[in-house]
Amino acid sequence: MEVLIAQIFNGLSLGSIYVLLVTGFNLLLLVAMIIHFSFPVVVVFSMYVSWAVMTATGMVPLGILAGILSAIAVNVVTAPMFQHIMKKRGSVDINATMVISMGMGMIITDILSHTFNQGFPIAFPDALTGNDKGALISTRLISISRGQVLTLIIGVIFVLFLFWLLYKTRAGRAFRAIAEDPNGAKLVGIPLLKTGLQSYALTGILGGVTAVLMAVLLGSASAGLGDQLGHKVLAVSIIAGLGNLKGGLIIGLLLGVLEAVIQGYLAGSWSNAIAFIIMLIVILAKPKGVFGSSL
Amino acid sequence: MAQNDPILKIKNLSVAYGQVKALTDISIEVLKGEIVVLVGANGAGKTSIMETVLGANVPVSGTIEFKGKSIGGVPVDKNVRNGMYLVPEGRGVFSSMTVMDNLLLGAHHNLKNADSKLELVFDSFPVLGNRKSQVAGTLSGGERQMLAIGRALMSSPEMILVDEPSIGLAPIIVNDIFEILVNLNKEGYSILLSEQNVYKALKIAHRGYILETGKMTKHGTADELLNDPAVREAYLGA
Amino acid sequence: MSLPLYYFLAIAAIYILMSWSIYIPYRVGQLHFMTVANMAISAYFAALMAINFSWPFWLVLIAGTLLGALIGFLVSLAIGDAPCFAVVIVGFTFIYLTKTIIENVEAFGGPLGIFSIPKVMQTSSSNRVFLLITAYALVLLTGYLIKRFDRSRLGRAASAIFIDRDLAVSFGVDVKKMGMFLQSWASAVGGMSGVLYAFIMQSISPNHFTFHIVGICMTMLFVGGYSTIWGALLAAPILWGFPLILPEVLQSWNIVIYGVLLIVVLVIKPEGIITRPMIKKLESILLRKKKLV
Repeated sequence: MEVLIAQIFNGLSLGSIYVLLVTGFNLLLLVAMIIHFSFPVVVVFSMYVSWAVMTATGMVPLGILAGILSAIAVNVVTAPMFQHIMKKRGSVDINATMVISMGMGMIITDILSHTFNQGFPIAFPDALTGNDKGALISTRLISISRGQVLTLIIGVIFVLFLFWLLYKTRAGRAFRAIAEDPNGAKLVGIPLLKTGLQSYALTGILGGVTAVLMAVLLGSASAGLGDQLGHKVLAVSIIAGLGNLKGGLIIGLLLGVLEAVIQGYLAGSWSNAIAFIIMLIVILAKPKGVFGSSL
Repeated sequence: MAQNDPILKIKNLSVAYGQVKALTDISIEVLKGEIVVLVGANGAGKTSIMETVLGANVPVSGTIEFKGKSIGGVPVDKNVRNGMYLVPEGRGVFSSMTVMDNLLLGAHHNLKNADSKLELVFDSFPVLGNRKSQVAGTLSGGERQMLAIGRALMSSPEMILVDEPSIGLAPIIVNDIFEILVNLNKEGYSILLSEQNVYKALKIAHRGYILETGKMTKHGTADELLNDPAVREAYLGA
Repeated sequence: MSLPLYYFLAIAAIYILMSWSIYIPYRVGQLHFMTVANMAISAYFAALMAINFSWPFWLVLIAGTLLGALIGFLVSLAIGDAPCFAVVIVGFTFIYLTKTIIENVEAFGGPLGIFSIPKVMQTSSSNRVFLLITAYALVLLTGYLIKRFDRSRLGRAASAIFIDRDLAVSFGVDVKKMGMFLQSWASAVGGMSGVLYAFIMQSISPNHFTFHIVGICMTMLFVGGYSTIWGALLAAPILWGFPLILPEVLQSWNIVIYGVLLIVVLVIKPEGIITRPMIKKLESILLRKKKLV
């Protein structure tokens, strides 16, 4: 029982990472109208940048800043490319954005596996992860780390912030209007490209923060992490219904908990595979999502 | 009562979608304080004119002047800021968003005195005030049309483009909507209206233009058109 | 024939087939990357049958192709008419699961894979010639079948689905059946490529069948042009070949080069380098010449 509770807590921390990634993915889908399959790859790239700055300067805050800035930079720099494709709107063009995003993923993943740390997995300093200070709560059977608590708290705060932004601010209103009806939004004077660009910047911030949280929670990263997260995020958002923000929240947390609980009882790469099998079954049974897509 | 300055001046406008010609050589004027109606059957090009004036379509040739300045090729958001707003065909409100959100979208470019404008809108349309936190999808057709008009007012426009407001509404409600438009006009808003309900539209308008398959066939004061035998035969069933 | 040339030609044939296996379901707008998993499954199936049960090449080839078709068909029952992204993630999940299973099950050789897949012919050189001829015969056969499909009523229906799904449905096109047919066919081609690959390489490991194949085949298809079979046919050997003649420092960056090419072509010329109108024009020129003669 104690193990189960610990694993559920662990899963909630992991799940909050998924929620952040899925929300970023969905925002880009709804507002910028692209399927940014490799958004998690960009996030992992930011982890690497953050790590590089931390190890080069020894300064953790500087690394955090660099990680967040690099995610924003990648998103904003690649925005014109996606917007160029999306100017001709259509279902085939949204496939093209996914292919372009996969191309981006190929490039970033290959760069990560060639350059940083000679392609070996990277480990973040204890000053960031707090692992040297030991667990925050530990009993005979379980231990909950500072990283887990921090990730969960910041994850919840950030998701609340995002929903506040979407539902209570001027930019959020414009985002939702475009998400519901791009043409209608254009006709009432909402500039599609400019508002789209804001969503790239916002998801950049989101991605950067997620990168730092992942560094704290996982303590390490490898070049292949981005691809794997990319698959999970796409799977979660399909299961929740593409573009369904609240659905993504639920399914993201569920996936985190599911994985953690499986990990509590089953070792090795099988636990990941079981999570994928369960997701596969759900997708095969309901290819259009459990909660319905808003597209 | 209409002053003689044109607020909108369209000259020899042609628009095409790809190879398909949508509008040919259209010239229209709306004077300050006027209600001008574009009448014609479905596909006559009324919506194309509205969207081109608004900046959503780029004209092939011709000029559009708004308040004396050329606005050919100016994007929609600039025109909205400049005092022009569309009440789209089929109501065009965002049905997943609340009434309040829809109204605030109208004030997207000018949120400073949104509160006082909201008060004005709720005064004119109490039903919107009562339902402000309701999702727009739950409103009736007439209420949605009011919401679309209220949203336009939130942008403090000088000219309102109203595209086919009567489509799909019960006749009694159409009368209400037209009365609202007349009242708005009395308050000083210039209105460019497009309608298939030719009789009712000409009754409230100062002047009208008749369109057929993208070309202008006739124009004149509302009374002239109402008494024109050809118009009567084609559109008024008499 | 020199060994590098042999491998270049043989692997180029595999990539042509694999790119076509992506091309086939993309005729209705689906990116069916599951064919890479089919390739892995049938390659392992071929290796195990040939080693443990001494199945002859032709039997393995036919069985491996049918195995691909069967798996493709079963999955297509669920995702025959699914939206593109759902098809994509199902494909990725299959690739991932296949890799996990073959890495973790002893009988499949674990992470090291399977060695010593038997030769089809007695001597090495005759084996190579045989496999090359077989591979290109299968390329010809598959190309011919796709060409026939593209020109048939079904091919036109597929194009209609690609351009406007709802409109195609209103004309009475059965989107689900079409998707199921194309997915099963693509998976069969994937399985066939897997068998060929196992016999060409004579050793396979889980790392041969991962996402980099998806990236490479996607690049070949979209750079070459997805609207005709000629795109992948020409792009596959060129894109596979040119990194081989680059200096070694650059060679290891081939995935980055592919990624850049993919993005540049999609941004500048979204339909790819070779397009259907281009082929039509070429065909009409050739036909006119024939008539003149």
